[in-house]
Amino acid sequence: MNGDPTPAASTAEPETSEAGGEPQEAARLHAITKSFFGVPANDRVDFDLRWGEIHALLGENGAGKSTLCSVLAGLYHPDSGEIHLDGERVDLASPQQALEHGVGMVYQHFRLVDRFTVAENLALGHPETGFVASRRSLERQVAELGRRYGLEVSPKAAIWQLSVGEQQRVEILKLLYRGVRILILDEPTAVLTPQEAQSLFTTMRAMAADGQAIIFVSHKLDEVLEVSDRVTVLRDGERVGSMETADADPAALARMMVGRDLSTRARSRTEAGSAALSVKGLTADGDRGIEALREVDLEVRESQIVGVAGVAGNGQRELAEAIVGLRRSKRGQIFLGDVDITRTSTLQRIKMGLGFVPEDRMRTGMAGGLPLTANLALKAYRQPPLSKGPLVSKRAVEERARTLEKQFDIRGVRWAMPTSLLSGGNIQRAILARELSARPKVLVAAAPTRGLDVAAIEAIRQILLDERDAGTAILMISEDLEEIMDLSDEIVVLYEGQIMGRLDPDDATPEVLGMLMAGRTSDADAEADAGPDAGPDAAAESSGDSA
Amino acid sequence: MSLPLGAFELTVERQQIPSRLVRMAAPTASVAFGLLVGAVIIWASGQDPILAYTEMAKKGFGGRLALTGTLVLATPLILTGLAAVVAFRMKIWNIGAEGQLILGAVASSGVGLWLGDNGIGGPVGIVLMLAAGAGAGALWAGLAALPRAYLNTDEVISTLMLNFVALGIMNYLIFSSFSHWRDPSRATFPVGRFVDDSMFLHRFTGRLHIGLFIALAAAGALWWALRSTRWGFEVWVTGDSPRAALYSGMRVDRKILSVLMVSGAFAGLGGGIEVGGVLGNLDPRALSLGVGFAGIVVAALARLSPLGVIPVAILVASFTNAKPGLQVLGIPSEIVTLLEGILFLCIVGGEWFLRNAVRLQRRAAGPRPVGVEAAPS
Ligand SMILES: Nc1ncnc2c1ncn2[C@@H]1O[C@H](COP(=O)(O)OP(=O)(O)OP(=O)(O)O)[C@@H](O)[C@H]1O
Ligand SMILES: [Mg+2]
Repeated sequence: MNGDPTPAASTAEPETSEAGGEPQEAARLHAITKSFFGVPANDRVDFDLRWGEIHALLGENGAGKSTLCSVLAGLYHPDSGEIHLDGERVDLASPQQALEHGVGMVYQHFRLVDRFTVAENLALGHPETGFVASRRSLERQVAELGRRYGLEVSPKAAIWQLSVGEQQRVEILKLLYRGVRILILDEPTAVLTPQEAQSLFTTMRAMAADGQAIIFVSHKLDEVLEVSDRVTVLRDGERVGSMETADADPAALARMMVGRDLSTRARSRTEAGSAALSVKGLTADGDRGIEALREVDLEVRESQIVGVAGVAGNGQRELAEAIVGLRRSKRGQIFLGDVDITRTSTLQRIKMGLGFVPEDRMRTGMAGGLPLTANLALKAYRQPPLSKGPLVSKRAVEERARTLEKQFDIRGVRWAMPTSLLSGGNIQRAILARELSARPKVLVAAAPTRGLDVAAIEAIRQILLDERDAGTAILMISEDLEEIMDLSDEIVVLYEGQIMGRLDPDDATPEVLGMLMAGRTSDADAEADAGPDAGPDAAAESSGDSA
Repeated sequence: MSLPLGAFELTVERQQIPSRLVRMAAPTASVAFGLLVGAVIIWASGQDPILAYTEMAKKGFGGRLALTGTLVLATPLILTGLAAVVAFRMKIWNIGAEGQLILGAVASSGVGLWLGDNGIGGPVGIVLMLAAGAGAGALWAGLAALPRAYLNTDEVISTLMLNFVALGIMNYLIFSSFSHWRDPSRATFPVGRFVDDSMFLHRFTGRLHIGLFIALAAAGALWWALRSTRWGFEVWVTGDSPRAALYSGMRVDRKILSVLMVSGAFAGLGGGIEVGGVLGNLDPRALSLGVGFAGIVVAALARLSPLGVIPVAILVASFTNAKPGLQVLGIPSEIVTLLEGILFLCIVGGEWFLRNAVRLQRRAAGPRPVGVEAAPS
């Protein structure tokens, strides 16, 4: 690492560029075109960003948002078009160069070194920090920046000890510390709890007030309306338009994004059948050997969606993994129908009709380096028509992929392209396509609509409801309260690995859920029989369990 | 990533997968380029590149004797190349083909001698002898596979160490003991006992024996198995993402075991074929020339394609075959070694250029420091 010493950037005033008083252009992208496999992901896109504004970027899955951001961040080199930063035409050959121009991007998958501390991660790759010498001053600066923008995190903590929300703060801090004044956040809230999202917004507002410019990518219209100053909408790689957020209304934005009106769905209920999945007294360890799941009792019946609400990291992942057989359970039992599957293999559970949409899509749900055709066959390759005896029919695999691609409207697939290059939303559609096409009796779905655009969310929620109506028992784990309340026939709240409460969705309000998710059981707010009265143990009351 | 070069700079960007045509043409172009670079170096070292190349081609392929000699050398290389291909496909770094080949030769010669002592020979004997070689190679690899599959130990170290153990076993059997393998009539200069003539692999012409066709069949079988069987599909998925494999119900531990054992079986079969087709006995000198390691290079040059291993192994074997003849002409044999290295670099480099777009461009205005940071992908 080398380089001419640049002025300590972190505390430099971004306002300098606003000298004229008028809000001046921070960045202007002109006629940006970037194609993959000859298909444009960005097609002559114009985009401008002012100092001191939060500019939201909206668009369907695969519309080209991440691509546009990556062009500005120097990760992709545009095929044609111009980038102007602060009025000056630049050519960004690498993210490093973009950083030197004060442009930094927080990608959806963080790039922090796990074992290092926050401070070390910040020092890493910074041109002017001697590693050990300036440690003290580094920690001071980090604390100072943290205070200024509401990004508090302990500089001495190791990354792996931090929650996802905290890791994101470190990412942002890292960029600020390196002097970034144009901050690009690609779907930052997709991994955050509502509370964490609020605190991120506070940070963003503080930065904007300081004169910095922020690009904010999100699929959540509420968030966009809440936090942004302007909105630009992309569709199929082209810019549809930009407007002041104050002039925008959700319906109009949605229409701009998808090019048509969205239908709203009426809430429906069906009669639940017999128990399809039962979990009794389930206890399991997390990755660090600490008990992450304690004495969980659950039951999902046919034609029923049970929603598991909770703040991320409260045992949701462990619960899902234990049910599908990817994690050993220490105590307790799991039943599929009335068969005890606690000790059966993952394969056996799949064969018995257990489907799983995992939270980690890129490494668990998909083999990212393989083409989509293979990934869509991940489970079905064992049965005819894909397999004939010990053989796998390549043609049948491809045919099936084409059918699912059409049926589930998976876009952007090209020959032999690694699945990981698909846009986030399309990867999720593909996983759902694979799992649902197996016609599961029980489906465990973790964060089924995370990262999807509004139209896709509608589509996938409808698919889940249809699936339920067709008799599937669905255990839906989600941090999205609206989704939980909208889809569930029954809600359970998970807190620190225990079930904090069970509610009927008709009795559930965000307030009640929020309380339970925060581990509080005050029954003052819970008007219904929902609020358990004596802490987690009371959870057992509603399910007839055995030891 | 970018590199400043005065007013210009070199930038590198990861790009999308190139078309099928380009990917097919690239290795040929790389080889041509490598030969060109080689020619310049030969010329610079005072030799005549045209002469060197024509001689190499002549000594490697010209005439029945040269050609069959090359093919005989290529046979074990194909098999150790396949051993590397199958393991590397699943990102299991088996670098123990050397030891697996040796142990295959030990078992083959041992079984061959025992069968001969008991009056069994001919085709039945040959099949049993080769099967013993493959089996021993598989078990030897299995020794490294078990801890890798169940304790997640590093297979690079274990397979490497097992090479030395295998070498020690072979040397002990011939040089340091009066074993079943050693010829008791040769007291002063120890050699291995020869198997019965009826157990020699069928020869066609010159030294060319049926082993070549066994190796070709093995390559075809591996190609087919990887491409068309459930096992091959599972290897593919597991190689890319073990977690996704577990998620879809595959037994990753068993896959590691089976892949390493298949890998070892190829190498062991190579050892058995050397005994049955070329040596006739357990010959420590002829069996420790590094064919196992060369297989790794062959597999890399073939870009882990089982069928690609065949031409690459033949090319590499022709170089080896040409070496002595070139020396007679006054061309140092190091030139051949050098050429091998250059070709290797060119093919690997060509691969890299396929995946990364490199462009030279004028630097944007304004001085700026350039840090060294890998572009996130
Ligand atoms: N590196 C790449 N190689 C090939 N194709 C790509 C690459 N990156 C993006 N694409 C394709 O370009 C299109 C636009 O993708 P992009 O990631 O910009 O969409 P997005 O608007 O961010 O979508 P999402 O909301 O799902 O994240 C998609 O069809 C995607 O498959
Ligand atoms: Mg995106």
